[in-house]
Amino acid sequence: MYPFASLPENLIAFGAILRRDHGFHIGPGELHDAARALEIVDLSDEQAVRHALRPILCGTPHDVAVFDRAFTDFMFPVPAGVPQDQMPAVRRAPESRADDREETFEPERRATPSDDADVMPDAGDGPIAPLEITDSDLEEAARLSRSSYSPLHADGEAPALRSAGNAWRDAARSLVRRLEIGLSRRWRPAHDGTRFDLRRTLRASLQTGGEALTPRWLRRPRRTPRFVLLVDGSRSMSAHALAALQVAVAMASITRRVEVFTFSTALQRVTGDVRRAAAGETRELESVQYAWGGGTSIGACLREFLRTFGERLVGRDTVVMIASDGLDVGEPDTLRGAMIELHRRSAGLVWLNPLLETAGYEPTARGMSAARPYITTFASVTDAASFVRLSRLVRVRV
Amino acid sequence: MTDAATIRARFRDRAFVVDEAFATALQIMLALEKPLLIEGPAGVGKTESAKVLAEVLGTRLIRLQCYEGLDAMAALYEWNYPRQMLRARLSETAGSTLEEREAQIFSEQFLLRRPLLEAISQDRSPVLLIDEVDRADEAFEAFLLEILAEWQVTIPELGTIRATSKPHVILTSNRTRELSDALRRRCLFLWLPYPTLAQEIDILQARVPGLAERLAHQIASLMQVLRGLPLQKAPGVAESLDWALALMSLHRDHLDARALEQTLGCVLKVHEDHGVVHAHRAALEPILEGAPGTVESGGNGREADFGFGSVSTPSR
Repeated sequence: MYPFASLPENLIAFGAILRRDHGFHIGPGELHDAARALEIVDLSDEQAVRHALRPILCGTPHDVAVFDRAFTDFMFPVPAGVPQDQMPAVRRAPESRADDREETFEPERRATPSDDADVMPDAGDGPIAPLEITDSDLEEAARLSRSSYSPLHADGEAPALRSAGNAWRDAARSLVRRLEIGLSRRWRPAHDGTRFDLRRTLRASLQTGGEALTPRWLRRPRRTPRFVLLVDGSRSMSAHALAALQVAVAMASITRRVEVFTFSTALQRVTGDVRRAAAGETRELESVQYAWGGGTSIGACLREFLRTFGERLVGRDTVVMIASDGLDVGEPDTLRGAMIELHRRSAGLVWLNPLLETAGYEPTARGMSAARPYITTFASVTDAASFVRLSRLVRVRV
Repeated sequence: MTDAATIRARFRDRAFVVDEAFATALQIMLALEKPLLIEGPAGVGKTESAKVLAEVLGTRLIRLQCYEGLDAMAALYEWNYPRQMLRARLSETAGSTLEEREAQIFSEQFLLRRPLLEAISQDRSPVLLIDEVDRADEAFEAFLLEILAEWQVTIPELGTIRATSKPHVILTSNRTRELSDALRRRCLFLWLPYPTLAQEIDILQARVPGLAERLAHQIASLMQVLRGLPLQKAPGVAESLDWALALMSLHRDHLDARALEQTLGCVLKVHEDHGVVHAHRAALEPILEGAPGTVESGGNGREADFGFGSVSTPSR
C-alpha cells in the first residue's frame, strides 16, 4: 500500500520528499536511474529495493544516515497490521509541504556535523539513528530553555552578521596575500620557472623547424592558504565576539577557503551564514543555540572540532584562528591536548584574545597558559585597523 | 553475473565478504554503467573490492592512484619527448616537409598512455580504480568529471579518442576533504562502514583459513570495542586481518592479556592510542577472559557490540 497508485509517481514523490525535507540533491537524472534500477531488482523484496535506491539517491554519508528512515516513513506510513481501508487514502502532494521553516533551516542542516563517520548506522536496516531535529516544537523548546539561562541573547537576539566594510575587506585581503605557506606540488608554466618544460619547448620548436630556440619553464605555484575560524561565543566574550565574526565575514568575502565555527558549550558550524553575510545579506545567526551565549568549554569544543571536522578541514595549508578570551571552565589538559593536535596538523595557530587590549594583561588564566606555548601568533582584533596590524603580524610554519 | 546473490557468491569464492547492500550497489553499477564512489573509514576494503571485482569479471584492473599535484598529463597521456627529439633530429635531412615531420612526431607510437587513456582504449571493459580521489586537488576533480561523463579524450595532435567499451569505474575516498557535489552526482554512492561483529568474524574466517573460532570471536569483539574508544586512528578490517595472522604465527589459539600486550602494535598505529587503550583496560578484560555469558557492558556505551555470546546483529 503505497501513497500513490503507480511506481513512477511514487518514485517522483519520494524523490521530492528527500529533496525538500532532507536536502538531497536529486534531479531527473537520478530518478531516471532509480527507475532503471527498479527494473533490475526484485520489487517484492523490500531490502533489495532499499539497497538499489540507496546508492543512486544518496550522495553523502549524511544522506545515507537518513535514507532508511525516510524510506520507511514514505513507503510504510502506518505500522504493519492496519487494515487497508484505514490507511490514509492519498498523501498530500509534496509541493504543499514546503513552509517557511524549511526555507531557513535547510542550508544549515546540510552543514551540520551529523555526517560524521562515527555516528553512521549500518548500511542495512537495524536500529536507525533518529533524524536530526525537524520538529519545530522541539526547536522552539530548545530555544526557550536556552534563553532562560542566557540573559544576553534571549529570543530573537541571536548575533547578527553584517557584510564587511571596505576597510575590513582590505585588511582581510592583505592577510590572505601576505601569508606564505609554501609551494604547491603542481607544476605550472612560468617565464621565471626553475624546471625545464620539455613538452612545451618541443611544441614551440616546431615553429622554428625543430630548433628549440625558446626554452619554456615550469614553476611550482604558491599554495593558497585555507582558514578555519573558531569564534568563542560565550557570555564573557559577548562584547568582542562580534568583532571576530566581522573578521570571519571579511575573510569570507575575499576567499572561499574559509570555514567558520562558533562555540560556547557546544560547537556549531556557521560557514553558510557567514558566506551569505559576505555576499551582502544581513543575517541573524539563529542556529547557534548552545554555541552562543553560554559558558565556555574551549578544550572540549576544540576536541569535538578535531574529531568531527579535523580530518577534512585541518591540513598543512590551514591557518587555524581561534578568537577567545581563554577563560576555560574545562580541564586545562583537554585544551592542551587539542592545542598540541591543532599545532601539529596546521600551518599556524592564531589566537585572537580581546583581553590583550587591556593594559597590564598577562595570559595567566589556566586555559590561556595551557594554550600559550602552541600559539604561533597572539594578537587581538577590535576594529579594521587592528585587523590590518594582524595581517602584518601573522607568521606560519612552512 | 547479474543479480546480487551471484555477485556475493563470486566475491565469496575469492575470500572477499560483501554484504547485500554492497552487492546490490555493484549490480546497479554494472547495469547502469555508472561510476561507483565508495567512501568509508580507512582499511575497510574499498580498494580491495575493486581488485576482486576485476577478478570476478575476468577483466583488467587499471589503477589510478591519486596524490596531491596529480595533473592531467600524469593521468591521461604524455608524449615521449626524448624519442620525439631524436626522431626530429634524425629526420632533419630526410627532405620531408614540416607538416609531414610534425605528423610523424605526434603519432601514436610516440604516445605514452597513462591510466585514464589506457582505460578507455581497451577492447573489453576494464575495471578502472581511481584510488583516494580526495587526495588529488579540486582542479583534477573537475577534469575527472569530463572524462567520467564523456568517455572521450581529445589529444590536440591526434584528435578525439572515444571509449570502445566503457570501463567499470570505482572511486574511493577516505574523506580527507569534501568532494564536490558535481562529482558526487555523477556517481553512485556507497558508504562502507566498519563491519558488524558477525560480519567481521565471517571476514576473518574467510581470509585467514585455519583461524581458531574462539580467536576470531575474540579479535572481532575486541575490534568492536576498540572502534568505540576515542582513538586517533581507529583500526580497520585490514588491522584485524594483520592481527589474526600475527597471532597465528605466534601459535596462539586465544587472546590473553600477554598476547594482547605483545601484538597490540598490529592494531594501534599511533603512540598515544596505547595510552587510551590502557585507560580503558576494564572494557577489554571480559573478552580476554573469554567466558561468554559472564560479560557485562563496558563503560563506553557500546554494549550492543559487546559480549559475543549475547550479541544480536540486525537481521537482513
